[in-house]
Amino acid sequence: MSEVVAVIDYGMGNLHSAGKALEKVASGQQIVITGDPDQVRAADRVVFPGVGAIRDCIAVLRETGLDRAILDVIAAGKPVLGICVGMQALMARSEENNGVDCLGVFDGQVTFFGELQNDTGGRLKVPHMGWNQVRQGMAHPMWAGIADNTRFYFVHSYCVTGLADEEVAGRCDYGLSFAAAATRKNVFAVQFHPEKSADAGLTLLENFLRWQP
Amino acid sequence: MLLIPAIDLKDGKCVRLKQGRMEDDTVFSDDPVAVASHWVERGARRLHLVDLNGAFAGEPVNGDIVKAIAKAHPDLPIQIGGGIRSPEIIQAYLDAGVQWVIIGTKAVNEPQFVKEMCQQFPGHIIVGLDAKDGKVATDGWANVTDVDVIDLAKQFENDGVSAIVYTDISRDGMLQGVNVDATVRLAQSMSIPVIASGGITNLDDVRNLCAVADQGISGAITGRAIYENTLDFGEGQALSDELIGA
Repeated sequence: MSEVVAVIDYGMGNLHSAGKALEKVASGQQIVITGDPDQVRAADRVVFPGVGAIRDCIAVLRETGLDRAILDVIAAGKPVLGICVGMQALMARSEENNGVDCLGVFDGQVTFFGELQNDTGGRLKVPHMGWNQVRQGMAHPMWAGIADNTRFYFVHSYCVTGLADEEVAGRCDYGLSFAAAATRKNVFAVQFHPEKSADAGLTLLENFLRWQP
Repeated sequence: MLLIPAIDLKDGKCVRLKQGRMEDDTVFSDDPVAVASHWVERGARRLHLVDLNGAFAGEPVNGDIVKAIAKAHPDLPIQIGGGIRSPEIIQAYLDAGVQWVIIGTKAVNEPQFVKEMCQQFPGHIIVGLDAKDGKVATDGWANVTDVDVIDLAKQFENDGVSAIVYTDISRDGMLQGVNVDATVRLAQSMSIPVIASGGITNLDDVRNLCAVADQGISGAITGRAIYENTLDFGEGQALSDELIGA
Protein backbone atom coordinates (compact mmCIF):
# COMPACT_ATOMS: atom_id res chain seq x y z
CA MET A 1 0.00 0.00 0.00
CA SER A 2 1.27 3.43 -0.88
CA GLU A 3 2.10 6.00 1.76
CA VAL A 4 -0.57 8.56 2.65
CA VAL A 5 0.36 12.21 3.17
CA ALA A 6 -2.29 14.29 4.94
CA VAL A 7 -2.50 18.06 4.39
CA ILE A 8 -4.47 19.59 7.24
CA ASP A 9 -7.46 21.54 5.97
CA TYR A 10 -9.31 24.01 8.18
CA GLY A 11 -11.93 24.70 5.55
CA MET A 12 -10.56 28.24 5.38
CA GLY A 13 -7.95 28.14 2.68
CA ASN A 14 -7.67 26.98 -0.87
CA LEU A 15 -5.60 23.84 -0.56
CA HIS A 16 -6.04 22.46 -4.05
CA SER A 17 -2.74 23.96 -5.10
CA ALA A 18 -1.11 22.36 -2.06
CA GLY A 19 -2.30 18.98 -3.20
CA LYS A 20 -1.09 19.66 -6.72
CA ALA A 21 2.35 20.85 -5.63
CA LEU A 22 2.82 17.79 -3.44
CA GLU A 23 1.57 15.42 -6.12
CA LYS A 24 4.10 16.95 -8.48
CA VAL A 25 6.99 15.94 -6.23
CA ALA A 26 5.47 12.75 -4.80
CA SER A 27 6.74 9.36 -5.82
CA GLY A 28 3.70 7.14 -5.55
CA GLN A 29 2.43 8.75 -2.36
CA GLN A 30 -1.23 9.51 -1.98
CA ILE A 31 -1.96 13.15 -1.02
CA VAL A 32 -5.08 13.63 1.08
CA ILE A 33 -6.43 17.05 2.03
CA THR A 34 -8.41 16.57 5.19
CA GLY A 35 -9.84 18.16 8.31
CA ASP A 36 -10.66 14.80 9.88
CA PRO A 37 -8.50 14.06 12.94
CA ASP A 38 -8.72 10.31 12.39
CA GLN A 39 -7.51 10.62 8.82
CA VAL A 40 -4.65 12.78 10.08
CA ARG A 41 -3.75 10.15 12.68
CA ALA A 42 -3.87 7.40 10.08
CA ALA A 43 -1.58 9.24 7.67
CA ASP A 44 2.10 8.37 7.27
CA ARG A 45 3.15 12.03 7.00
CA VAL A 46 1.40 15.28 7.82
CA VAL A 47 1.66 18.78 6.35
CA PHE A 48 0.35 21.45 8.72
CA PRO A 49 -0.14 24.87 7.08
CA GLY A 50 -1.87 26.93 9.78
CA VAL A 51 -4.04 29.95 8.94
CA GLY A 52 -4.65 33.54 9.93
CA ALA A 53 -4.69 34.90 13.45
CA ILE A 54 -3.12 32.47 15.89
CA ARG A 55 -6.08 32.66 18.29
CA ASP A 56 -8.47 31.55 15.53
CA CYS A 57 -6.05 28.93 14.29
CA ILE A 58 -5.61 27.34 17.73
CA ALA A 59 -9.32 27.64 18.46
CA VAL A 60 -10.22 25.77 15.27
CA LEU A 61 -7.62 23.09 16.03
CA ARG A 62 -9.04 22.57 19.53
CA GLU A 63 -12.68 22.57 18.40
CA THR A 64 -12.05 19.97 15.73
CA GLY A 65 -9.69 17.82 17.80
CA LEU A 66 -7.00 18.36 15.19
CA ASP A 67 -4.67 19.64 17.93
CA ARG A 68 -4.62 16.22 19.59
CA ALA A 69 -4.33 14.48 16.24
CA ILE A 70 -1.23 16.54 15.40
CA LEU A 71 0.33 15.82 18.81
CA ASP A 72 -0.44 12.10 18.38
CA VAL A 73 1.17 12.03 14.96
CA ILE A 74 4.24 13.76 16.37
CA ALA A 75 4.39 11.36 19.33
CA ALA A 76 4.11 8.42 16.91
CA GLY A 77 7.33 9.57 15.26
CA LYS A 78 5.82 10.30 11.84
CA PRO A 79 7.24 13.20 9.82
CA VAL A 80 5.36 16.47 10.28
CA LEU A 81 5.95 19.68 8.31
CA GLY A 82 4.60 22.94 9.76
CA ILE A 83 4.30 25.93 7.44
CA CYS A 84 4.01 29.64 8.33
CA VAL A 85 1.31 29.97 11.01
CA GLY A 86 1.57 26.17 11.29
CA MET A 87 5.15 26.64 12.52
CA GLN A 88 4.03 29.32 14.96
CA ALA A 89 1.23 27.09 16.27
CA LEU A 90 3.83 24.47 17.24
CA MET A 91 5.53 26.92 19.63
CA ALA A 92 4.79 27.36 23.34
CA ARG A 93 3.16 30.73 23.11
CA SER A 94 2.40 33.60 20.77
CA GLU A 95 2.07 37.23 21.80
CA GLU A 96 -0.52 37.80 19.06
CA ASN A 97 -4.09 38.52 20.24
CA ASN A 98 -2.77 39.54 23.70
CA GLY A 99 -1.09 36.20 24.21
CA VAL A 100 -2.21 32.77 23.10
CA ASP A 101 -1.02 29.39 24.33
CA CYS A 102 -0.02 27.25 21.37
CA LEU A 103 0.65 23.54 20.99
CA GLY A 104 3.97 23.59 22.85
CA VAL A 105 5.91 21.16 20.69
CA PHE A 106 8.80 23.64 20.77
CA ASP A 107 9.69 26.01 23.59
CA GLY A 108 9.93 29.00 21.25
CA GLN A 109 7.97 32.22 21.44
CA VAL A 110 6.10 33.96 18.63
CA THR A 111 6.87 37.67 18.62
CA PHE A 112 5.58 40.69 16.69
CA PHE A 113 8.21 42.20 14.36
CA GLY A 114 7.02 45.75 14.82
CA GLU A 115 7.87 45.88 18.51
CA LEU A 116 11.40 44.83 17.69
CA GLN A 117 14.09 47.21 16.63
CA ASN A 118 16.51 47.09 13.76
CA ASP A 119 20.24 47.83 13.94
CA THR A 120 19.72 51.58 13.91
CA GLY A 121 17.07 51.52 16.62
CA GLY A 122 14.07 52.08 14.34
CA ARG A 123 10.88 50.05 14.45
CA LEU A 124 10.89 47.19 11.99
CA LYS A 125 8.68 47.56 8.97
CA VAL A 126 5.91 44.97 9.08
CA PRO A 127 5.05 42.72 7.43
CA HIS A 128 8.27 41.06 6.39
CA MET A 129 7.28 40.29 2.85
CA GLY A 130 9.15 39.00 -0.16
CA TRP A 131 12.22 36.84 -0.79
CA ASN A 132 14.91 36.49 1.80
CA GLN A 133 17.94 34.31 2.41
CA VAL A 134 17.84 31.39 4.78
CA ARG A 135 21.08 30.47 6.55
CA GLN A 136 21.05 26.80 7.28
CA GLY A 137 21.89 26.15 10.90
CA MET A 138 22.70 22.48 10.41
CA ALA A 139 23.01 19.74 7.86
CA HIS A 140 19.56 18.18 7.60
CA PRO A 141 17.85 15.80 5.15
CA MET A 142 15.27 18.55 4.55
CA TRP A 143 18.01 20.79 3.12
CA ALA A 144 19.23 18.15 0.66
CA GLY A 145 19.86 19.75 -2.72
CA ILE A 146 19.23 23.25 -1.35
CA ALA A 147 22.28 25.51 -1.13
CA ASP A 148 22.99 27.47 2.03
CA ASN A 149 21.64 31.05 1.83
CA THR A 150 19.01 30.11 -0.75
CA ARG A 151 16.16 32.63 -0.91
CA PHE A 152 12.63 31.66 0.08
CA TYR A 153 9.38 33.64 -0.01
CA PHE A 154 8.11 35.10 3.29
CA VAL A 155 4.95 36.94 4.22
CA HIS A 156 4.46 37.37 7.96
CA SER A 157 4.26 39.88 10.80
CA TYR A 158 5.17 37.53 13.64
CA CYS A 159 8.29 35.42 13.98
CA VAL A 160 9.71 32.65 16.14
CA THR A 161 12.44 33.46 18.64
CA GLY A 162 13.84 31.87 21.77
CA LEU A 163 14.43 28.39 20.39
CA ALA A 164 17.37 26.33 21.58
CA ASP A 165 20.22 26.54 19.04
CA GLU A 166 20.01 22.86 18.21
CA GLU A 167 16.38 23.37 17.18
CA VAL A 168 17.07 26.19 14.74
CA ALA A 169 17.41 24.53 11.33
CA GLY A 170 17.62 27.84 9.51
CA ARG A 171 17.87 31.52 10.31
CA CYS A 172 16.74 34.59 8.48
CA ASP A 173 17.73 38.19 9.10
CA TYR A 174 15.11 40.87 8.97
CA GLY A 175 16.35 43.53 11.33
CA LEU A 176 16.86 40.72 13.75
CA SER A 177 17.71 37.08 13.38
CA PHE A 178 14.69 34.81 13.67
CA ALA A 179 14.06 31.10 13.16
CA ALA A 180 13.11 30.56 9.52
CA ALA A 181 13.11 26.81 10.13
CA ALA A 182 12.84 24.77 13.31
CA THR A 183 13.28 21.08 13.86
CA ARG A 184 13.01 18.55 16.64
CA LYS A 185 13.18 14.83 15.94
CA ASN A 186 10.45 14.07 13.38
CA VAL A 187 9.11 17.63 13.16
CA PHE A 188 10.31 20.27 10.72
CA ALA A 189 8.70 23.67 10.50
CA VAL A 190 9.28 26.63 8.22
CA GLN A 191 8.18 30.26 8.46
CA PHE A 192 8.50 30.79 4.71
CA HIS A 193 6.08 29.47 2.11
CA PRO A 194 7.63 26.57 0.17
CA GLU A 195 4.63 26.58 -2.17
CA LYS A 196 5.54 30.11 -3.26
CA SER A 197 9.32 29.61 -3.22
CA ALA A 198 9.85 28.24 -6.73
CA ASP A 199 12.32 25.37 -7.21
CA ALA A 200 13.87 25.52 -3.75
CA GLY A 201 10.39 25.23 -2.23
CA LEU A 202 9.56 22.22 -4.35
CA THR A 203 12.86 20.58 -3.42
CA LEU A 204 12.06 21.11 0.25
CA LEU A 205 8.63 19.48 -0.22
CA GLU A 206 10.22 16.61 -2.10
CA ASN A 207 12.74 16.19 0.73
CA PHE A 208 9.87 16.08 3.19
CA LEU A 209 8.15 13.28 1.30
CA ARG A 210 11.39 11.27 1.42
CA TRP A 211 12.45 12.15 4.94
CA GLN A 212 12.91 9.17 7.28
CA PRO A 213 13.53 10.71 10.71
CA MET B 1 -19.33 57.53 -2.58
CA LEU B 2 -19.17 55.89 -5.98
CA LEU B 3 -20.84 52.61 -6.66
CA ILE B 4 -18.53 50.91 -9.12
CA PRO B 5 -19.94 48.16 -11.29
CA ALA B 6 -17.61 45.22 -11.72
CA ILE B 7 -17.26 43.57 -15.08
CA ASP B 8 -15.40 40.30 -14.85
CA LEU B 9 -14.02 39.27 -18.21
CA LYS B 10 -13.27 35.69 -19.10
CA ASP B 11 -12.71 34.39 -22.61
CA GLY B 12 -14.22 37.60 -24.00
CA LYS B 13 -17.41 37.25 -21.98
CA CYS B 14 -18.82 38.78 -18.79
CA VAL B 15 -18.90 36.30 -15.93
CA ARG B 16 -19.23 36.21 -12.17
CA LEU B 17 -17.19 33.87 -9.98
CA LYS B 18 -18.25 32.64 -6.59
CA GLN B 19 -15.47 33.35 -4.06
CA GLY B 20 -12.87 33.52 -6.80
CA ARG B 21 -13.15 29.94 -7.96
CA MET B 22 -12.39 29.83 -11.66
CA GLU B 23 -14.44 26.67 -12.20
CA ASP B 24 -17.47 28.18 -10.49
CA ASP B 25 -18.55 30.87 -12.94
CA THR B 26 -21.77 32.14 -14.46
CA VAL B 27 -21.79 33.81 -17.88
CA PHE B 28 -23.87 36.99 -17.85
CA SER B 29 -23.25 38.37 -21.32
CA ASP B 30 -21.35 37.79 -24.53
CA ASP B 31 -20.99 41.53 -25.12
CA PRO B 32 -18.85 43.30 -22.48
CA VAL B 33 -18.95 46.65 -24.30
CA ALA B 34 -22.76 46.62 -24.18
CA VAL B 35 -22.62 45.70 -20.48
CA ALA B 36 -20.29 48.63 -19.79
CA SER B 37 -22.64 50.96 -21.69
CA HIS B 38 -25.59 49.62 -19.73
CA TRP B 39 -23.99 50.58 -16.40
CA VAL B 40 -22.98 53.98 -17.70
CA GLU B 41 -26.58 54.58 -18.73
CA ARG B 42 -27.65 53.55 -15.24
CA GLY B 43 -25.40 56.23 -13.75
CA ALA B 44 -22.01 54.59 -13.25
CA ARG B 45 -19.19 57.14 -13.02
CA ARG B 46 -16.40 54.61 -12.81
CA LEU B 47 -15.94 51.04 -14.02
CA HIS B 48 -14.09 48.17 -12.41
CA LEU B 49 -12.83 45.62 -14.91
CA VAL B 50 -11.24 42.32 -14.05
CA ASP B 51 -9.34 40.28 -16.59
CA LEU B 52 -9.89 36.81 -15.15
CA ASN B 53 -7.91 35.04 -17.83
CA GLY B 54 -5.06 37.42 -17.18
CA ALA B 55 -5.32 36.82 -13.49
CA PHE B 56 -4.88 33.13 -14.02
CA ALA B 57 -2.69 32.86 -17.08
CA GLY B 58 -0.24 35.65 -16.25
CA GLU B 59 -0.93 37.95 -19.19
CA PRO B 60 -3.93 39.84 -20.55
CA VAL B 61 -6.23 37.68 -22.60
CA ASN B 62 -9.06 40.22 -22.75
CA GLY B 63 -6.93 43.26 -23.62
CA ASP B 64 -8.79 44.05 -26.83
CA ILE B 65 -12.13 44.14 -25.06
CA VAL B 66 -10.75 46.48 -22.41
CA LYS B 67 -9.58 48.81 -25.17
CA ALA B 68 -13.00 48.66 -26.84
CA ILE B 69 -14.74 49.60 -23.58
CA ALA B 70 -12.35 52.50 -22.98
CA LYS B 71 -12.84 53.69 -26.55
CA ALA B 72 -16.64 53.55 -26.24
CA HIS B 73 -16.47 55.66 -23.05
CA PRO B 74 -13.47 57.96 -23.39
CA ASP B 75 -14.41 60.18 -20.43
CA LEU B 76 -15.23 57.38 -18.02
CA PRO B 77 -12.56 56.55 -15.41
CA ILE B 78 -11.76 52.86 -15.63
CA GLN B 79 -9.79 50.72 -13.22
CA ILE B 80 -8.63 47.26 -14.16
CA GLY B 81 -7.22 44.34 -12.26
CA GLY B 82 -6.05 40.90 -13.21
CA GLY B 83 -2.67 39.96 -14.59
CA ILE B 84 -0.98 43.30 -13.87
CA ARG B 85 2.50 41.86 -13.72
CA SER B 86 4.76 44.07 -15.83
CA PRO B 87 5.30 47.74 -16.77
CA GLU B 88 4.51 46.79 -20.38
CA ILE B 89 1.04 45.59 -19.43
CA ILE B 90 0.43 48.76 -17.40
CA GLN B 91 1.62 50.97 -20.23
CA ALA B 92 -0.63 49.13 -22.68
CA TYR B 93 -3.69 49.65 -20.49
CA LEU B 94 -2.91 53.32 -19.86
CA ASP B 95 -2.44 53.82 -23.60
CA ALA B 96 -5.81 52.18 -24.11
CA GLY B 97 -7.44 54.79 -21.91
CA VAL B 98 -7.54 53.01 -18.56
CA GLN B 99 -7.02 55.34 -15.58
CA TRP B 100 -5.82 52.94 -12.88
CA VAL B 101 -4.38 49.47 -12.81
CA ILE B 102 -4.92 47.33 -9.73
CA ILE B 103 -2.00 45.20 -8.65
CA GLY B 104 -3.18 42.21 -6.68
CA THR B 105 -1.26 38.96 -6.30
CA LYS B 106 2.01 40.48 -7.43
CA ALA B 107 1.79 43.19 -4.77
CA VAL B 108 2.10 40.58 -2.05
CA ASN B 109 4.46 38.28 -3.93
CA GLU B 110 6.79 41.08 -4.97
CA PRO B 111 6.15 44.30 -3.00
CA GLN B 112 9.10 46.00 -4.67
CA PHE B 113 7.12 45.90 -7.92
CA VAL B 114 4.46 48.19 -6.42
CA LYS B 115 7.05 50.74 -5.39
CA GLU B 116 8.68 50.72 -8.80
CA MET B 117 5.38 50.98 -10.64
CA CYS B 118 4.28 53.89 -8.42
CA GLN B 119 7.46 55.71 -9.43
CA GLN B 120 7.05 54.87 -13.11
CA PHE B 121 3.28 55.50 -13.32
CA PRO B 122 2.45 57.94 -10.50
CA GLY B 123 -1.26 58.34 -9.86
CA HIS B 124 -2.19 55.24 -11.81
CA ILE B 125 -1.49 52.44 -9.36
CA ILE B 126 -4.01 50.91 -7.01
CA VAL B 127 -3.29 47.86 -4.85
CA GLY B 128 -5.93 45.23 -4.27
CA LEU B 129 -5.74 43.37 -0.97
CA ASP B 130 -7.77 40.34 -0.02
CA ALA B 131 -8.31 39.61 3.63
CA LYS B 132 -10.20 37.32 5.89
CA ASP B 133 -10.89 38.42 9.45
CA GLY B 134 -8.45 41.30 8.99
CA LYS B 135 -5.56 39.08 7.91
CA VAL B 136 -4.05 39.21 4.45
CA ALA B 137 -4.86 36.34 2.15
CA THR B 138 -2.46 35.17 -0.55
CA ASP B 139 -2.76 32.73 -3.40
CA GLY B 140 -0.50 30.23 -1.66
CA TRP B 141 -1.86 27.34 0.31
CA ALA B 142 -1.49 28.59 3.79
CA ASN B 143 -3.51 31.26 2.13
CA VAL B 144 -4.49 33.33 5.11
CA THR B 145 -1.33 34.79 6.64
CA ASP B 146 -0.58 36.27 10.06
CA VAL B 147 -0.23 39.68 8.41
CA ASP B 148 -2.64 42.40 9.45
CA VAL B 149 -4.11 43.99 6.35
CA ILE B 150 -3.68 47.47 7.85
CA ASP B 151 0.09 47.01 8.26
CA LEU B 152 0.42 45.96 4.66
CA ALA B 153 -1.85 48.68 3.28
CA LYS B 154 0.25 51.31 5.09
CA GLN B 155 3.38 50.03 3.37
CA PHE B 156 1.75 50.46 0.00
CA GLU B 157 0.47 53.88 0.98
CA ASN B 158 4.08 54.89 1.67
CA ASP B 159 5.06 53.53 -1.73
CA GLY B 160 2.62 55.96 -3.33
CA VAL B 161 -0.40 53.96 -4.39
CA SER B 162 -3.56 55.95 -5.18
CA ALA B 163 -6.03 53.74 -3.33
CA ILE B 164 -6.55 50.33 -1.79
CA VAL B 165 -9.24 48.01 -3.05
CA TYR B 166 -10.16 45.97 -0.01
CA THR B 167 -11.89 42.65 -0.55
CA ASP B 168 -13.21 40.61 2.30
CA ILE B 169 -12.81 37.14 0.81
CA SER B 170 -15.28 35.47 3.10
CA ARG B 171 -17.98 37.65 1.57
CA ASP B 172 -17.01 38.28 -2.04
CA GLY B 173 -19.69 37.00 -4.41
CA MET B 174 -21.69 35.41 -1.64
CA LEU B 175 -24.27 38.18 -1.10
CA GLN B 176 -23.67 38.21 2.66
CA GLY B 177 -23.40 41.93 3.30
CA VAL B 178 -20.33 44.15 3.57
CA ASN B 179 -17.75 43.78 6.31
CA VAL B 180 -18.21 47.44 7.21
CA ASP B 181 -16.16 47.39 10.42
CA ALA B 182 -13.05 45.96 8.78
CA THR B 183 -13.34 48.39 5.87
CA VAL B 184 -13.70 51.40 8.17
CA ARG B 185 -10.76 50.33 10.34
CA LEU B 186 -8.60 50.18 7.24
CA ALA B 187 -9.82 53.54 5.93
CA GLN B 188 -9.27 55.23 9.29
CA SER B 189 -5.69 54.11 9.49
CA MET B 190 -4.67 55.61 6.14
CA SER B 191 -4.93 58.85 4.22
CA ILE B 192 -5.51 57.32 0.79
CA PRO B 193 -9.01 56.19 -0.11
CA VAL B 194 -10.29 52.69 0.37
CA ILE B 195 -12.58 51.11 -2.17
CA ALA B 196 -14.72 48.43 -0.60
CA SER B 197 -15.20 45.24 -2.52
CA GLY B 198 -17.14 42.14 -1.77
CA GLY B 199 -20.44 41.59 -0.08
CA ILE B 200 -22.64 44.42 -1.35
CA THR B 201 -26.07 42.89 -1.57
CA ASN B 202 -28.73 45.57 -1.40
CA LEU B 203 -29.59 49.18 -0.59
CA ASP B 204 -28.98 48.52 3.12
CA ASP B 205 -25.33 47.78 2.38
CA VAL B 206 -25.06 51.01 0.38
CA ARG B 207 -26.66 52.88 3.28
CA ASN B 208 -24.33 51.26 5.84
CA LEU B 209 -21.26 52.15 3.83
CA CYS B 210 -22.46 55.70 3.17
CA ALA B 211 -22.81 56.18 6.92
CA VAL B 212 -19.05 55.73 7.30
CA ALA B 213 -17.85 56.86 3.88
CA ASP B 214 -16.46 60.07 5.33
CA GLN B 215 -13.83 57.96 7.10
CA GLY B 216 -12.16 57.49 3.75
CA ILE B 217 -14.24 55.04 1.73
CA SER B 218 -14.42 56.54 -1.73
CA GLY B 219 -16.20 53.77 -3.52
CA ALA B 220 -17.76 50.35 -3.39
CA ILE B 221 -17.39 47.75 -6.08
CA THR B 222 -20.50 45.78 -6.75
CA GLY B 223 -20.86 42.74 -8.96
CA ARG B 224 -23.19 39.87 -8.33
CA ALA B 225 -25.84 42.01 -6.63
CA ILE B 226 -26.42 44.23 -9.65
CA TYR B 227 -26.41 41.30 -12.04
CA GLU B 228 -28.82 39.31 -9.91
CA ASN B 229 -30.93 42.37 -9.20
CA THR B 230 -30.79 42.26 -5.42
CA LEU B 231 -29.51 45.82 -5.86
CA ASP B 232 -30.72 48.26 -8.52
CA PHE B 233 -27.55 50.07 -9.56
CA GLY B 234 -29.27 53.33 -10.43
CA GLU B 235 -31.14 53.41 -7.13
CA GLY B 236 -27.96 52.58 -5.23
CA GLN B 237 -25.92 55.39 -6.77
CA ALA B 238 -28.83 57.81 -6.34
CA LEU B 239 -29.11 56.88 -2.66
CA SER B 240 -25.39 57.39 -2.16
CA ASP B 241 -25.51 60.79 -3.86
CA GLU B 242 -28.48 61.77 -1.74
CA LEU B 243 -26.86 60.64 1.53
CA ILE B 244 -23.40 62.06 1.12
CA GLY B 245 -23.36 64.05 -2.07
CA ALA B 246 -21.77 63.12 -5.33
